[in-house]
Amino acid sequence: MTQPIWGPVQQEMSDLLQRHPDDVPGVVDLLARLQVALCRVPPLLDSNPLADFNKLYLTITENVLERLYAGKFKDPAFLARLDVEFAARYFDALRYWTEGSPACPGVWAGLFCRIPGPDARALPSAVAGVNAHINFDLPFALVTTFDHLGSDPVDGSDQHHDYLQVNDIFAEEIPGLRRGYLDRWQLLIDTMNGDLDDWWQGEMVEYTRNVAWRNAQKLWAIRHDLGALDKERRRLDGTATGLGKLLLSPFGSFLQ
Amino acid sequence: MARQGDEGPLVGRTGTLADVQSNLRNVGPGGTAAVFVTGESGVGKSRLLRETADALRETGFSVLFGTCLDIGDASPLHPVLQALRRLDGTAPAGTADDAGALLERVSRDLRAIAGEQQLLLVLDDLQWADRSTRQLLLYLLAGLGDVRVSVLAAIRAEALHGTHPLRRVLAELRRLRSVRVVDLAPLSQDHTRELVTAIVGGTVALEDADRVYKRSGGNPFVVEELARDLRDGRVELSDTLREIFLSRVDELPPNAHTVVHAIAAGVEPVEHAVLAGVVPLPEDQLIEAVRAAVTHRFVASDRDGYKLRHRLVAEVLEQEVLPAEAASLHRRYAETLESVEGEPDNARLAFHWQRAGEPDRALPPVVASARAAERMYGFAEAHRYWTIALQLAGDTDPRRTELLGHAAESAHQCGEHLLALARLEELAGRPDAPGQSELHLRRARYLAAAGRSATAEIEYQRALEAPDCTPRRRASAAAYLAELLLHLGRYADANQHAREALELAAVNGATTDLVRASAALGFSAAFREDPDAGLAVIRHAVEIAERSGHPDDLGVAYLHLAELLAGPLNSLEEGVLVARRGAGLLAARGVGRTYQTRLLAIAAKGLFRNGQWSEAYAVLETAMRNHPSGADAVELLLARSQLWVGFGEVENARRDLDAVATLLAGGGARHVLPMLTLRAGLAMWQGEHAEARAAVQRGLTETRSDDLVLLGVLAWHGLRAEAEAHVAGQPIDAGAIRRLRTVMDRLVKGVVEAPAPVRAVVDGYLDLCTAELSRVEDRQDPEPWARAAAIWDRRQQPYPRGVLTAAARRGLPAAPGPAHVGGHRAAPGVCDGDRDGRPPVRQRDHRGGAAVPGHARRRRPGGAGRPGARGGRAVHADRTGAGGAGGGGRGLDQSRDR
Repeated sequence: MTQPIWGPVQQEMSDLLQRHPDDVPGVVDLLARLQVALCRVPPLLDSNPLADFNKLYLTITENVLERLYAGKFKDPAFLARLDVEFAARYFDALRYWTEGSPACPGVWAGLFCRIPGPDARALPSAVAGVNAHINFDLPFALVTTFDHLGSDPVDGSDQHHDYLQVNDIFAEEIPGLRRGYLDRWQLLIDTMNGDLDDWWQGEMVEYTRNVAWRNAQKLWAIRHDLGALDKERRRLDGTATGLGKLLLSPFGSFLQ
Repeated sequence: MARQGDEGPLVGRTGTLADVQSNLRNVGPGGTAAVFVTGESGVGKSRLLRETADALRETGFSVLFGTCLDIGDASPLHPVLQALRRLDGTAPAGTADDAGALLERVSRDLRAIAGEQQLLLVLDDLQWADRSTRQLLLYLLAGLGDVRVSVLAAIRAEALHGTHPLRRVLAELRRLRSVRVVDLAPLSQDHTRELVTAIVGGTVALEDADRVYKRSGGNPFVVEELARDLRDGRVELSDTLREIFLSRVDELPPNAHTVVHAIAAGVEPVEHAVLAGVVPLPEDQLIEAVRAAVTHRFVASDRDGYKLRHRLVAEVLEQEVLPAEAASLHRRYAETLESVEGEPDNARLAFHWQRAGEPDRALPPVVASARAAERMYGFAEAHRYWTIALQLAGDTDPRRTELLGHAAESAHQCGEHLLALARLEELAGRPDAPGQSELHLRRARYLAAAGRSATAEIEYQRALEAPDCTPRRRASAAAYLAELLLHLGRYADANQHAREALELAAVNGATTDLVRASAALGFSAAFREDPDAGLAVIRHAVEIAERSGHPDDLGVAYLHLAELLAGPLNSLEEGVLVARRGAGLLAARGVGRTYQTRLLAIAAKGLFRNGQWSEAYAVLETAMRNHPSGADAVELLLARSQLWVGFGEVENARRDLDAVATLLAGGGARHVLPMLTLRAGLAMWQGEHAEARAAVQRGLTETRSDDLVLLGVLAWHGLRAEAEAHVAGQPIDAGAIRRLRTVMDRLVKGVVEAPAPVRAVVDGYLDLCTAELSRVEDRQDPEPWARAAAIWDRRQQPYPRGVLTAAARRGLPAAPGPAHVGGHRAAPGVCDGDRDGRPPVRQRDHRGGAAVPGHARRRRPGGAGRPGARGGRAVHADRTGAGGAGGGGRGLDQSRDR
């Protein structure tokens, strides 16, 4: 609790996390600055597992931003708010971790505590972050967004359509990123495996994102009951933490 | 949660304390300020609140202290009413004409208390505040209550983790200059040592102090307790708070032990008389037991009653009580509370009977609480009580059907449309369910409010076709259906159903249906090229309403007539006249405050469009004197800030925009874009490029792709901000420019399909964009400036034309100078608003088939009472007009003018 968690970039991280971006360009900007700082955290530097996740998240959020400007979403106000709310939870988790606060969700703490090592493979690391962010943060971000905009999470609505479009972004980005991580022999295996592997990865994100939508609908019904909500939060954190551990275990490296 | 008595010294908070005080003193132009303190339990939030309150009281603040209740089901406005009651024993009565009137009444009491002083309103445990309290806070902070108030509130950080509504409220408020959010961190190692030393007294071994730091994590509450253990010679420091307190509970005398557990089961503060009923001890023994509990630092006592010293203690104790013990304590509480004379405390009774495992006895106070909340327009709270009532009444309970009806309606009222529909489904399945026509009609209303127009239409049709549909209900359903079809832009169908409704209502209908049907008929006729017929129908509705004299009928009828005249018919002057007459009529009778406000808003917007700015300002001031709240207040403030911008009164414009932002923190998405456009314009004018850039980028990422005009305005503002930055020698944002080019591409593609008047406006903005780009790229190309100047000049648009005077510097003919209005200096470069060249009604319609200006701005039938409530596609219509708060619809014949 006393030693600086981020080593030489402790102050920089602390300063960056004082920000609370409230629009998508602001989120992209903060993610980009965090990426620079995270790549300087010893001993793993730019191969630390959080940097792997942050990089993926940055790429995806940049993609969302481009689509917002290009008018690709049916309800941009919804998607922009969701993106900001979603990111706020990642930034919150980082802030709690930086302050050494016990409030840091278990699923994030599981990834953060791997920053000093042992080294995990880049892909499982990024996926572990995706797990925390989607399985745990996303349902809450959805509920807050709907609540604030005064609309309901209805299947087949404009918002649902936009929400599903983000699955396409994941599908686009993950295979590409994945190849970026691979060295030569892995590339060989990858080629042999063909798209099957990519498909599996894409499925996982899509699957968990749909679970997040369902969970959000479940949370929606109980959102005024703080006790029940807290219970559900713990449950989701517990489940996601378990999955995160698995991803960062030696088993996770089979992914790569 | 308050901690009192022998507290340790305040360590490590000197700087924070000074900052908080200075922020609370440093009120913004609206006369308000706020500090929200967040932090984990035990970190010292309540202490900070008390210390700040004490310090400010001494420097001339009038202080009011309220605490939110932990029972989750408190009555509306509880902490503020409790604070008022505590001060003078009375609280505003729970009945008012509408929710706004109630807010105004509470504000009046707060004003009276403050007198000449600045009021400090301190609210502890804000995470438990109900929705009404949050709305009141925003209302006060926006300056609508006319109270010079500084708000200091504490929020448990743990509560903000999930989906707590305060999360978004705080995120929105953070941006305002008059609001600070202070995240209270645990103590550092050095400060922990200091606190330990102060409590132990004398010297403390460094390793002991550091052990306390490690175990407490710097949480001052835990530090204090561990330091006391150290002082009292407990050799083994306890590892957890639980162990600390459990070992102390064991040391309590038996009666004190009973008292502590009893208070833990109660709703704090527990009055002595109530405790005496719960703990069956002779008075002297009870007092002795309480004293022991206080001495052992479990209980704090003040004039309101007893509390546990800290919430954390209650959490430890809760786990130590057997379920049967707890049930018995709650039963004794409930019985004691029932025997107390005077108004029953239904919220507490409901709480205790539920936990005593007596659903039958819990039900009556729960229902009473629901009705009380409804009387105070706390629909969210009422909805929660009706939901509890349903949980208490089992499937076979004969009361369940009635409860379901209330639960569905209250869910609808507070904007919980999905839940409302789910309740209605259950209601439909009951053996004693209401008739088919009623069910279909209600389902249709809920669906329409949820923005699901297609299914709503089917349900209205089913209601009309149901065999049990009485003529009266048929009139009602047809009138609602006509209104819905009007929103969908299907004027022929709307016309047909409105006629049917009118015929039915004329024979056997309620005046409200008659007025609604007339309005739908009038509007649909006006849109179907027969404005005179439409006008005649609505005029007739006004006559009917005047005869009935009912405020709702009068309000609705005048509103429709004024909207038709000032909107689609473009008879601005008559529209203004009608709106003012309606408002005056209602004011003379002292009724229909909300309608008065809306009518005056129409009048002000009409006057603004007519160029009578001073007159518009006067009308807005009159409307503001009604102390509007929610969406009505936002509309007026936006209109007024647009006027301020026009007058060149920058600070006033900012104040009103900040007030809008404050209100929107509670929800209200449809007003965000008008606010951002005004903000961008204002910042651009003042050369604050970063702020303009931020407002533009947020606006652009939240604008629908078919809002071509709004996209044009924002893209131009964005490029202009970059160009101005470049000219001022500041760095430009290359990424922003690339993205703004994407938006320009969208405009170029989209404009091909757009009707001629829209095309002309968008082309004008595209030229301005190109011109600004040429400045960014140092090309100084006069061509686009000239084209833009010609377009705007032809359209006689003062806003962009004014900006084009800048083009004069590049050797182009300058547009005529800005007008001087009402002795104020006009600021032509900012006042886009209504004059942004939004296209007339007809042309706008087929962009989305939804835009019915004027009409779209009305509340949806039976729509939710909160500002964030969705108006289906009508919301979009409003966004289209986002360029200006002064924006009413363009007239039918205005397209000809152009």
